[in-house]
Amino acid sequence: MNRDESVAIVGGGLSSLVAYATLRYGGLEPAEIAVFGDAADPASTFRRQAEAIRQRTMRSESDGHCLPTSFPGLAVREARRRRSIVPLVRSVCDRYRPPLELFLEHVEDVRRRSGWDESFRAHRVERVGAVDGGFALEGHGVFRHVLLATGHAGLALPDELADDMRVVHAYEPHEYAEEVTVVGAGMAAATEWLNALAAGSRVISVRRREPIRRPLNVERAFFTRRGLARFQRSGRTERVAMLRRFNEPSYPPGRTWDEPLECAAAAGRFRIEPSVNGSPQVICATGFARGWQHDPLLAELVRTAGLDTELGWIVVADDCTVPELTDETRTLALAGVSAQWAYPAADTLVGAKYAARGFLRRVRACRTR
Amino acid sequence: MSYTLRGRIDSRLSSALVAVLAACVLAAAVHEWWPVELAGLMLGIGLALDVLVYDRLFEYQPGWAALPLGALELVLVLTAAREASVHAPLWPALGFYAGAWLVAQALGHAAFPLLRLSYADDGGELGRAGPSAAALTAATFAAAGGIAWANLPPTVHLSAGVHQGPLVITKRENLVGERGAIVRGGIVVHADGVTVKNVATSGGRYGIEVEDADRVVLDHVTVTGASMDGIHVRRAQVTIKDCTVSSPPGYTQGIDLSFNIDKGTSMIEGCTVVGGQHGIFVDSTNADVMGNRVSATTYRAISMTEMAMGMIGGNEITGAVGAGIECNDRSECMVEHNRISGMSADPTTDDLTRKGWGIISNFGSNTELSGNVFVGNARGLGAFTGGFFSRP
Repeated sequence: MNRDESVAIVGGGLSSLVAYATLRYGGLEPAEIAVFGDAADPASTFRRQAEAIRQRTMRSESDGHCLPTSFPGLAVREARRRRSIVPLVRSVCDRYRPPLELFLEHVEDVRRRSGWDESFRAHRVERVGAVDGGFALEGHGVFRHVLLATGHAGLALPDELADDMRVVHAYEPHEYAEEVTVVGAGMAAATEWLNALAAGSRVISVRRREPIRRPLNVERAFFTRRGLARFQRSGRTERVAMLRRFNEPSYPPGRTWDEPLECAAAAGRFRIEPSVNGSPQVICATGFARGWQHDPLLAELVRTAGLDTELGWIVVADDCTVPELTDETRTLALAGVSAQWAYPAADTLVGAKYAARGFLRRVRACRTR
Repeated sequence: MSYTLRGRIDSRLSSALVAVLAACVLAAAVHEWWPVELAGLMLGIGLALDVLVYDRLFEYQPGWAALPLGALELVLVLTAAREASVHAPLWPALGFYAGAWLVAQALGHAAFPLLRLSYADDGGELGRAGPSAAALTAATFAAAGGIAWANLPPTVHLSAGVHQGPLVITKRENLVGERGAIVRGGIVVHADGVTVKNVATSGGRYGIEVEDADRVVLDHVTVTGASMDGIHVRRAQVTIKDCTVSSPPGYTQGIDLSFNIDKGTSMIEGCTVVGGQHGIFVDSTNADVMGNRVSATTYRAISMTEMAMGMIGGNEITGAVGAGIECNDRSECMVEHNRISGMSADPTTDDLTRKGWGIISNFGSNTELSGNVFVGNARGLGAFTGGFFSRP
């Protein structure tokens, strides 16, 4: 451990980059921060999954970026580049979806400008232990302030399909067979329906429930204090119900989605079935494994520190810190999907900013930083 | 953005601070108070809408909503400005509003999020900066109000009884007469922003003369026995309300507003005018003549002439010789809801325009008529030498 380092970010993905950029904006030097992750490129996992699913635009809007401040957003970036106000107009109408390429360029830009590579260490941290004055990270020393941004705990596959040789997850590289069964009903599934149809396949959609059509997974009011205050005041049962509702599969409304499906259905190339049949290829667009139990680091932390949990969620404070292990001298906070108890859209970039800002406030408030 | 109530108020007050400061600078530059008054109305209406409407109506407010909400607030501000008699010129006022709106958008979408990391998360709240901005805004208004109060014109009280005139006013002031205060020989106003209230004049060439002055108010004045014009206005902008003018026979006029076309709109309202050749004479002036009672004139009761423009509405004209209302010499007159009765022809002349007409339109003038009532007149409507009538 460098003598100056007092802050550690565990995880090397986009949430970590947002947190890093926020800490740098807050006045911390690269020498004060250590970032632990598998790959130096913070977009590597995201890029791989986006390529697998042939994603071309983000579901998030202009605010879905990695800068610490919400302005300027990606719409401003694109407007500058294209010398056009169209992205700005679309943004104020909530119709702007940043191109994936623009987003990845932006990530690279933030990585380069923030000094990310100076702080990055290619090492996977698998255990965090609370000790006097901070947290021990497996031979890398003790850090006063630690942000755990470990990301999703892996891809989710239905148990009954786990050993099926026809199965590929939507976020793994794949092509499309002549007939494809797509399991799932969320954004990834909808994207795969269109991908497979565009590739000339016949598509069978297998779903346990009808997808909800909404622009974002989480209602907009819950991105700010107006809705958050209500969410954070709620009791456990009510909060769990809200989180389950937000986690239900959904994809945006609009002709872009509906027209190709209607045409394909009319031509006999798209249909819905209740269960997987004999298709030569089964694509599971079933998202990620949910819950702290699936993340070895978090599971160990819950067990050793006796953290409060509710089903798959770790009960964190409103600023995403872990109350049992956070005080005036040290901070342990979560970012990304594991912070959903505090911020329902924690798995978005806006959610990453929320967690990062809370973490920065804690770090700043600590006199012994 | 999903604003919290406090977020709306913080953002509104902080944005308004720029507008209020700009209003103060503008007010100092143009020597008018309307920018500050307008900024106050904008802020007050905005805050009221934030608390009473927007917060309840909008769980989430998309960016595009700023346009229709801005338009709604503009309509309310203009209406309130009119009701509160804020004398803001229309286009500069619209420009000021548009500028303030643009500044508010730039601050809300760009500056505040840059200055405060959690601006969006906090639903527009600005933390400690919010109350500070509110205090600064209030302090700015208080300072402006203090300056306005310190610059209020002095009020001169005229005691009851007869004062020898002419009384010449050359500085901004309020001249307020006690009951029974009379100035013999007339009053002359030569300064902007003068108010003359509850004062009577008798005699003199002109009862009250206003020349080269703006924003002059003559309120509840009584004029008798002036040898030419009861109230004589040149190169000025005036509001005359609830006056009484009585003219002796001869070459006299009750109220004469002439050659003020570039001075803004004047108003003659609620006056009683008796006698004289012309009762109310508006020449080359923009003026509204509303709700007056004019009687016993010998030429025209109300005349709007020489490229004048304005409304003649709700007046009661009785027992006049010649014509009741005249729109003359390429003027544009809206003549609405007047009651004209007892017009009689002038037996001393063959002039066709003086044959007891209710309303005449003369020499290329456009007289727009609506809802006028004619009772017992020698003649009704008369158009001469290219004058014509139209309907609204």
